[in-house]
Amino acid sequence: MSALLDGADLNSEPRTSAIVAPNRRAPKRRSGGPSHRGAGDWLVLVVAIVIGFFIAVPFLLILVNSFKSPTDYNTSGPLTLPTELYFDGIVAFWERVDFPEKLLNSVFISGVVAVLAVLLSMLNAFALGIGRVKGRLWIVVLILLANMLPQEVLLYPLYFMFKEVGLYDSQWAVIIIFTVIQSAFGTYLLASVYGTFPKELLEAASLDGASRWQILWRVVYPISRPTLSVLLIFFFIWTWNEFLIPLTFLVSNATQTVPVAITVLQGDRLMDVTTTSASALLGLIPTLVFFLIFQRTLTRGITAGAVK
Amino acid sequence: MKHTRKMSAAAALAITALALSGCSADQGDDDVLRLWHFESESSAMGLAWEEAIKVFEEETGATVEFEEKSFEQIRSTASQVLNSDEAPDLLEYNKGNATAGLLSSQGLLSSLDDAVDEYGWADQLAPSLQTTARYDENGIMGSGSWYGVPNYGEFVEVYYNVDAFAAAGLEVPTTLAEFETVLQAFADQGVTPLSESAAEYPLGQLWYQLALTKADRAFVDDYQLYDGPVDWSGDEITYATETVKDWTDRGFISTDSSGFKAEDAGVAFINGEAPIFFSGSWWHNRFTTEITGFEWGTFLFPEAEMSPGSGGNMWVVPERAANKELAYEFIDITMRPEIQAIIGNNGGVPVAADEADITDAKSAELIGNFNTLTERDGLAFYPDWPTSTFYDELNAGLQELVNGTKTPAEVQQQLGEQYQSGVDDIVG
Repeated sequence: MSALLDGADLNSEPRTSAIVAPNRRAPKRRSGGPSHRGAGDWLVLVVAIVIGFFIAVPFLLILVNSFKSPTDYNTSGPLTLPTELYFDGIVAFWERVDFPEKLLNSVFISGVVAVLAVLLSMLNAFALGIGRVKGRLWIVVLILLANMLPQEVLLYPLYFMFKEVGLYDSQWAVIIIFTVIQSAFGTYLLASVYGTFPKELLEAASLDGASRWQILWRVVYPISRPTLSVLLIFFFIWTWNEFLIPLTFLVSNATQTVPVAITVLQGDRLMDVTTTSASALLGLIPTLVFFLIFQRTLTRGITAGAVK
Repeated sequence: MKHTRKMSAAAALAITALALSGCSADQGDDDVLRLWHFESESSAMGLAWEEAIKVFEEETGATVEFEEKSFEQIRSTASQVLNSDEAPDLLEYNKGNATAGLLSSQGLLSSLDDAVDEYGWADQLAPSLQTTARYDENGIMGSGSWYGVPNYGEFVEVYYNVDAFAAAGLEVPTTLAEFETVLQAFADQGVTPLSESAAEYPLGQLWYQLALTKADRAFVDDYQLYDGPVDWSGDEITYATETVKDWTDRGFISTDSSGFKAEDAGVAFINGEAPIFFSGSWWHNRFTTEITGFEWGTFLFPEAEMSPGSGGNMWVVPERAANKELAYEFIDITMRPEIQAIIGNNGGVPVAADEADITDAKSAELIGNFNTLTERDGLAFYPDWPTSTFYDELNAGLQELVNGTKTPAEVQQQLGEQYQSGVDDIVG
């Protein structure tokens, strides 16, 4: 029986591909007729679903436990669905840390960093990728050091520097640090993108009498805009999720960001699973919303980069 | 060009925001006390200190600028904040060599010796509570100047399920032999009696408690204050390690506990799965509010003069504080009986409460146990205190013991070597 099936499968394999191949060329017939997926396709699908599930598990756990009362959690553990929706955890966290204020701080810091870092990356990359500065490889390596060094190493030097200039306990310290760190990556990426920038366009522009500044803003910027928006979104989300440096530099509660505020719930010995989940959910929603809003820009940016 | 305009609008917005947030509040006012702590407002300490702030503002006319910090933030950034102008006047900070001891040896905390004399705090604190408040010039606790004042204490006791004991016809044990009989009775019913966690602190504390049943104060001073060498194959530690092994073999401790966290062990007691949980007073408040299905009670570990425990986290005054006098006055208010009573009536363990002020029966039981311990000088600190890496080393060793991958002798030899190398680094 099984031998028969195996044989049938083996036989069907080349036939399927033979049928599918012309289908691709004639897309109109594609929707009709039974789809002939091979065992390999199903396997890939199953693997993808399993991987997707594992990626989603932490998020699902947060979601489930955010709406659970502590009693419910104690009796049934973290894996079951809540017996009734319980919003006290979310409300308690919201009020305890003055969540709107933290949200505003995070949006402000991440937004300013994203804009400034993209601007800085573009100027750097213009010099390195299009301007072809001498020794540009080494300059890029040097700039990338900011990204490659672990933040723990940077912490003390940065602390002393910013204390000297009087920016300790100021959001500007965090903004300056992350503008530099994010633009390091941005410079690296954009410099290689600009390295392949069509020469004809640049030559045509300078023949028309455009200055460097005009070339940057009239030619290079509009063409690389999709890539720049992708960088903007990444910088925003990366900065949003930063923890160690904001924790160190934002001493006053009024200046703190969402990830720093979440730590208020971790005690010396005790943890409050349900409220911590609620806070994680609240911290995650803004980035999710931001991502969904700009998701179209993101895909457009990636495809624009791929097709020349 | 439309996009250029959008981009420059964003930039303009950013610059406006820049200008708006440029200024920050000044400090250094003479009658402002800047205060930080990390207790939630509904906890025993949170409630008591809120009242203390009110009393302080009424009596001194000064205002309190209070900020609730996270434990994590104070723990990881204290040395930087206290070395800057942003240092508060008074903050709650962790006791211990690696925390308060380290900062005091770096000169970041001010010595409280004069204030202690002036306000008489030393008379209010039992000797074993003072241990964590005083640090020598190397930052080692137990002697030297005062750098902190604890407001509350903590200790480890046995929580038990009264209903489960009654159903099995068992009494609260008063000797170790009786305790083993109780454990055996539950094991015979197919119940794992002890809710344990070897991935975090609970099993380490049980192990230390078992050693303490055979130990005297000199052993604790050797172990915690490096007064002398610790014999890692002596009676105390051999008894502890072998008993953990024996109890695991007899089914008193689940072998699964090697993967459990403290939270899991606590929850297993809350939902009635395990009838006995040996852990700290910090669970008391949570059990009071979250255990609804059964009666529970507490007792001190039988046949032990000493138990793990210590003064709690304490008030410290940064060296760069602007208003030290106000900070001392605030500390003194928190030591008053009426403020201490608030800690006591809300599930905390006050250090200087009048027992008559404690109206809540459950709290009275808890504080009674604590006072019994302090009266016989029975706070023995925690097993992981001596070195900064011993917490993980002890948990790893006990996990191997519970799993059966190592024998008791191997485990205590390994722990002894790790302990000694850590202590050598500190003492030099």
